[in-house]
Amino acid sequence: MRLGGPAFHSLNETRPVGNHSTEHDVRMPEAPLTFNQTVKGVTEFIEVAVHTILYVRQIYPADLFIRRKKYDTPVFQSRHPALNAYISGAVKAIGEELVKGTVDKVVVVIKDKEQVALERFIFSIENMVQVEAFNKDTRWALYREGPSKRNSKTYSIEDAMSSRSLGQYFRSFLVKLSMAESQLGPLNTEGDPSFAIVLELKDNAVPSAPRPTEPAPWIPANAQDTTPGAADDAELQMIRAVNTGIINLSLAVQESGAKLQREKAAMKAKKAASAKPLEVVEPEKPNP
Amino acid sequence: MDPPVSSQTNSSDYYDEDDSAFLEALTTTVLPGDIVQGDDEISSPEVSQELTPPPPSQPFLKRTRLEAFAERGKSAQVDRAADDDVYGASHFGEFGEYMRRKRAKLQIQNADIEENAGSGSKIFESLAIYINGYTQPSTQDLRTLITKHGGVFQPYLDKKSIVTHIVTCSLTAAKMREFKHMKVVRPEWLVESAERGVLLPWRNYIFTPNERSEPTLGSTIKQPNLLDTSTSSPATRVRKNANSPFNTPVKQTGERHLKGAVTPVIKNPPPLYQQPRKDTPRNAFPTERLSRGQIDTKIAMLPSKLAPPQQVTDAKKVVPVYAADTSNPLATRVMANPDWRKAHTSVAPDFIEGFYKNSRLHHLSAWKAELKNLVQEAQERAETIGTGELVGRIKSEVNGESAGVSMRGAELVMKSPGKSKGKEKAVDDRVIMHCDFDCFFVSAGLVSRPQLRGKPVVVCHSQGGPSSTSEIASASYEARSFGVKNVLDKLGNFVRPSSPSLTSLRGEYKQLSLKFYTILMNHADDLQAVSVDEALIDVTSVVMQLRSRGSQDPAAVDSAKDFAEMIRAQVRKATGCEVSIGISHNILLARLATRRAKPAGSYHLVHDEVKEFLAPLNISDLHGFGWSTKQKAQEKLGTATLGELMDKSKAVLCDVLGKSTGETVYNALRGIDDKKLESDKPRKSVSCEINYGIRFENSEQAEVFIYQMAKEVAKRLDDIGMVGRSVTLKIMKRDPTAPVEPPKFLGHGACDLYNKQISLIGPGGRATSDERVIGEHAYRILRSFNFDPKELRGIGIQIQKLEKPSSGGTGVKQAVLPFRSAPSPKKPMPPPAAPQIHVHPPSDDIPQPVEQESSAKAQAVDLPSFSQLDMEVFNALPNDVRKELENEYQRRSTSPFVAGPAPAPAAPARLAGPIRKDIFPKNIVVKGPNYQQIVRQQRPWNRPSISPAKNPLFKKKARAGASKLSDAALQKLNIDPEVFRGLPPALQHEQLTMLRLIKERGKIPSPPSKRKVLKPRKRKPIPAHLLWRAPAPQARWVTPPILRQQGKQKKEKFFFTETGDIQGAIEGWMNTYRRWAPKEKDIEFFTKYLVASVDGEKHTDVGVERAVAILKWWLVLLRRYWGGSEYVDDEGYMDPSQGDPVGEAWWKAFRETKEKMDVVARERFGGRLSLR
Repeated sequence: MRLGGPAFHSLNETRPVGNHSTEHDVRMPEAPLTFNQTVKGVTEFIEVAVHTILYVRQIYPADLFIRRKKYDTPVFQSRHPALNAYISGAVKAIGEELVKGTVDKVVVVIKDKEQVALERFIFSIENMVQVEAFNKDTRWALYREGPSKRNSKTYSIEDAMSSRSLGQYFRSFLVKLSMAESQLGPLNTEGDPSFAIVLELKDNAVPSAPRPTEPAPWIPANAQDTTPGAADDAELQMIRAVNTGIINLSLAVQESGAKLQREKAAMKAKKAASAKPLEVVEPEKPNP
Repeated sequence: MDPPVSSQTNSSDYYDEDDSAFLEALTTTVLPGDIVQGDDEISSPEVSQELTPPPPSQPFLKRTRLEAFAERGKSAQVDRAADDDVYGASHFGEFGEYMRRKRAKLQIQNADIEENAGSGSKIFESLAIYINGYTQPSTQDLRTLITKHGGVFQPYLDKKSIVTHIVTCSLTAAKMREFKHMKVVRPEWLVESAERGVLLPWRNYIFTPNERSEPTLGSTIKQPNLLDTSTSSPATRVRKNANSPFNTPVKQTGERHLKGAVTPVIKNPPPLYQQPRKDTPRNAFPTERLSRGQIDTKIAMLPSKLAPPQQVTDAKKVVPVYAADTSNPLATRVMANPDWRKAHTSVAPDFIEGFYKNSRLHHLSAWKAELKNLVQEAQERAETIGTGELVGRIKSEVNGESAGVSMRGAELVMKSPGKSKGKEKAVDDRVIMHCDFDCFFVSAGLVSRPQLRGKPVVVCHSQGGPSSTSEIASASYEARSFGVKNVLDKLGNFVRPSSPSLTSLRGEYKQLSLKFYTILMNHADDLQAVSVDEALIDVTSVVMQLRSRGSQDPAAVDSAKDFAEMIRAQVRKATGCEVSIGISHNILLARLATRRAKPAGSYHLVHDEVKEFLAPLNISDLHGFGWSTKQKAQEKLGTATLGELMDKSKAVLCDVLGKSTGETVYNALRGIDDKKLESDKPRKSVSCEINYGIRFENSEQAEVFIYQMAKEVAKRLDDIGMVGRSVTLKIMKRDPTAPVEPPKFLGHGACDLYNKQISLIGPGGRATSDERVIGEHAYRILRSFNFDPKELRGIGIQIQKLEKPSSGGTGVKQAVLPFRSAPSPKKPMPPPAAPQIHVHPPSDDIPQPVEQESSAKAQAVDLPSFSQLDMEVFNALPNDVRKELENEYQRRSTSPFVAGPAPAPAAPARLAGPIRKDIFPKNIVVKGPNYQQIVRQQRPWNRPSISPAKNPLFKKKARAGASKLSDAALQKLNIDPEVFRGLPPALQHEQLTMLRLIKERGKIPSPPSKRKVLKPRKRKPIPAHLLWRAPAPQARWVTPPILRQQGKQKKEKFFFTETGDIQGAIEGWMNTYRRWAPKEKDIEFFTKYLVASVDGEKHTDVGVERAVAILKWWLVLLRRYWGGSEYVDDEGYMDPSQGDPVGEAWWKAFRETKEKMDVVARERFGGRLSLR
């Protein structure tokens, strides 16, 4: 694995700052997050990460993407309006579920042209606090500090992470995500990969509709795209995780059993091809 | 529930702007996921980009900046390996692939061109050029040129940032807008840069929209090929083409050159004149191929009067300097000098005289007017005398210098007395001849310079360098064949060492003209002088006679043509010059016939041929129809050729061209022209128009100039003995888009035209030719336009409604009351040029008329003049009042000033007023100042308008009638009226109110105390300690699993939570048990911790991350210590290290731990953990 410049390396080593700090900076970036801020931050990050995944895994030609800057790190964003609309629509729906705290996982499934899931990028989400609706934008900590600070309309959740350090975490997510590509095997998709965004809710939860008269924007997923449907030999790499104290988020990539088997078969064939001309006959030995 | 804010945002909102420094750093940094660039790729990145589609596995490589494209052309090495891809077959639906290949092929071609024809020149190196539309030379040639000199030719304009310049000859309006911010140049830039071997500044070649290379939209022009040896780039063309007569550079004439753009004109003379031309100039004057030596000698021979135009090849100066810039830099520079300005522009005092001395057009028009007069007089005389004299004679020969320009004094004698002028005859039976000199000025000049015959000769106004903007007045046919078109060409485009000033030949021209007219007069029934060298004659009767007298077969012999030849012979004999004669049955056709007759021939256009003759012509070929008619026809009817227009109905033509024009065209198409010869058309207007060198700085200069012009017009009016009733001012104002200094030196450039006509009223309401009156009127019009004098470029004064001064009978006029005041006829109004009158100090001994007026004005406001007084009333006045008045009047009569610090002594001249001194005795004493009031009462009420100040309706309402109260009423209120009246009104009012209040209520109410301002009460915030608020939601942090370890001492415990600590603990454990298998208890201890960590439900995914990191570290250590004991189970590949029990035990412990972790992880994510 080749690491980038020292700048990126040091970023990976960033220690969590916000976890145990009890002092509350008056400046907004250092102030603890509010619930809605966190939801917004997470959905935003999911959207950015989806774009990055599509780019990193080359689901679409690289020409389609434009390099932008987000979380102080280079990211790649699709320029295709239809694709962007799909992603932002899905992320919007995720955000709606996220507010309710019913989301368990958001999965970006990479599939080959036979719709066989090859890789699953799993955003695992855990709501740590339940906040009443009227408090979702409340910044309590500041309120206590006196009337002079009260002009600020938002008051955050006590003891939560600051939005600045959340941004730094997200940066590390994205950097590690681009690095993960080197550890994942190449996608042998025969040129026609596709992807899907799967939302996994907690038990007994159903996706909500924006209005009672309208259907929810979700349809039931394919079994193999879901976590229960994952084969036992699928392998999971944890990319990064963060605890905000409000919503805990982690990103992992799971290579499906189908993909690993294909890789093994390919490796075997390659080995056989390279081994043949040598004609080395190995003595048979019993397995230990 | 609130939806998150993110739900409203667009996808792109999540991304910040590109940070350029960051991006730059990023391009150089190798990021994980990049494929390391091999050396071979670096060597020719452009090629691989161009020729192969970027492989999908190289995300960063293909994302280099677009600018890289601009440089790809530089790389001459084309990767031939990519040829397969480039030249392979395109797949169906792969349009992108097709285009990509096409571009690649084009670049390969470019590279080939550069290799083959590589001149080593790299002048276009930094350029990427896109060629738009039709160009001259063609796109292909330009492309070769560009690539040859190291530039990049861009076949497509889809990426505008790549292209540095756009080369074009013409642009549509839409493209003009599109390329508004790009560098659009003419192809000459490339061609000339290539010739000179340096990259010329492109700004000199900026494409300006109006220079369209193609004359009309529909016509097709064969693009000359740049690579043709005959017509390569202009310079090489001249150099290589040995057949061209003017290929050799002429040394001593310096840097002059025929503009390249003229060439096509030379090559394609209009076909109309080619066919019937019997003796083209080439035949008449055997074609001379001039070698350099010949030209040299010729020029040496010339008395520096007339010279052939020469093309001079000079690679350094191809285009005349002035043409390179739309604004004339020379003029701009020179105009900056105020002295020069004063001397040479319209500001100069003698400008008008100089202008008319030198203007060729002026001479021509003046002569024409004189000729017309001569013709008219001749006809009148013929009518009155009634004798048919067959020989015209010139009564008084003009002697060159003294007569100047004028033809007056010459006299023509009309041949035919009978008023069978042909006008009464059936129109179709007329025989009209249009006689026209062949290149009159040249021919005239050649009379005295026979040695120049057969040489290309032009006549023009002034000598000058290649920057001369002088126009060519006339060019011989030899010269025309070299591209000298006509008067429209600027002299600067051609070359001649020197040329005569027109005036030096004036005498000859006039004599020739008179001789010419004399001959025509001899033969014509009627004659219309068109211009000095051109006349229309009606010869119907003569031809009839000839016809009847002549042969029996009129078809065999064309008597009209014979007659024309006869006239030609006579003229030739008399003048030594050739005339061409066109004959037909009306004026229009005769004119057309002349065009075919030229040069030196005659042509009879007969009835039957008219249609065929007209068909190929263009509408602008017809006399009286020009460019605008052609444009209209082209735009609205789609054609301008007569043959096609012939099909259009009269209604259509009228609709398109306007009623009268349409009708005329309709008739003209059918060869019908009812116009009669205008032999006796009276002069309708006299004008003077100058649009050269008009540069004013302020309105005073303009005014002076207008008066000067008025003088000139008046002079002309006097010359013809006419007076006018109407004056028109024509103004040319610089078009806002035009440069301040137009290309033609001191010319007018593009202008907007303004005309205004007012009636010209002279003294007594008569028609006038008085220069001052004309000037006043003209200047009044100019003022009414309200133009900035700096913008004026041309001024013309025209006098219409001419009449003879005698004929303008006063009986017709309205009687004019003798109300005219002020300036006595002896004292003319001060000319505006002398404004210094106004600066005399008032204390001057002689009172100025201006001051006189002001005094009169002042008088009017207070006292009427004495004569206006009603004497009866005056006498009825009380004695003292009357005396006061008398005194005042006396005072005034002695001094012109009403009031002045120092009353001037009475000037004797001023005493002659209506009031005589002796009316008033001197001893009257002035008593008081109230004489004015009295006089005012005397004055009749003569104010018709109601002034708002005076009208009570608009007056402020009087205050409570304070001042109106009678003394009695005041006393009633205990007020002393005298004191009260002395108070100012406000105080009066206050006092009144107070007193009235006291009277009514008995007291004055105390004034209200100071006004209280009501403000909303400030809400006091509730102190924080009084408010109970629900506790803030608390963030929930899950405690990470803790690895507890017994310390060395009792009760000492270590709590490990951080990844590094636990990794350290594992490392220590393994180091301790390097030689032994791990203890079950220890394994369990670690396994428990790890499994707990992996359980995301309990300890969040951060724990999973940490557990995986620890596990990986364990694996690393295992491989380091007992790498041989690892095996890959699926393959059955067993480690050959026989029996390392310790290692196997460690591996086993590891695997078991991992399996346990996998089980937990499977619940959450499915599958198992990867340690890769």
